[in-house]
Amino acid sequence: MPDNWGFVAAAYGLAAVVFGGYWRRLVRKERELTALRADRANRSRPPSGTAHPRPDAGWRAPLQ
Amino acid sequence: MVTVLGWLAALAIVVGLATGFGMAPREVTQGNVQRIMYLHVPAVWVAYLAFTVGFVASVVYLARRREAADRLAHAACEVGTVFLGVNIATGAIWGKPTWGTWWTWDARLTSVAVVFVMFLAYLLLRQAVEDRERGARYAAVLAIVAALNIPLVHFSVYWWRTLHQPPSLLKPGASAMPPIILAALLVNFGALAILGAYFIARRARVLAGEAEAMA
Repeated sequence: MPDNWGFVAAAYGLAAVVFGGYWRRLVRKERELTALRADRANRSRPPSGTAHPRPDAGWRAPLQ
Repeated sequence: MVTVLGWLAALAIVVGLATGFGMAPREVTQGNVQRIMYLHVPAVWVAYLAFTVGFVASVVYLARRREAADRLAHAACEVGTVFLGVNIATGAIWGKPTWGTWWTWDARLTSVAVVFVMFLAYLLLRQAVEDRERGARYAAVLAIVAALNIPLVHFSVYWWRTLHQPPSLLKPGASAMPPIILAALLVNFGALAILGAYFIARRARVLAGEAEAMA
């Protein structure tokens, strides 16, 4: 019987693609989870007070 | 721990490939195409093991309602489905040069396809039901029913006339396999078992993180 190395390469190549693809899916999900946690941590942090500085006490809009 | 398991799996796969291609001899009847066996057979054993873990974890979840058990069942059944998919695909690739066909509806192939479709349905069900607790309950029942079919797959080659050969190893009595081929098969089984354990542990960790984020 001929060796059919092409079939052997196809079988092992397919397995490598499937297992590698599944591993990459797990890595992607972990990254998404890390990003979600970081986003939540940022949202739950109290505002620093410097993001929107108040105008001076004597400042008025031009039409007032 | 999970990272160590991952590196161990990578190392074991390299050793497995070395034994399957370097140590094991060319098979006399089939030639080198028989080397697909070192992937095809361990893949289904790992799938059986993963589904057994999924079965036990589903029973525990139904009895105790522990979310960790549900997550383990989910991870194990998902990983088992991946390995079973590899088993079916590599079996088709092996079947073409040896049987002359990619697929035939004999008892072994049909029963394994039924189990594969049942676990695909399991994964779809997990996403389809919005109520998390209800989805977990339905999925646990389906995992138990699907896993109960595994003995049917294994014994199908004895109960019906099939093109697929009977088991060479998981059977009563001594194996007829030459020791060096048996050793290569077991080394590759060990490698894929470690890979399966790594995938299950990592998937369960992701599921735990997702549950925590949703809470």
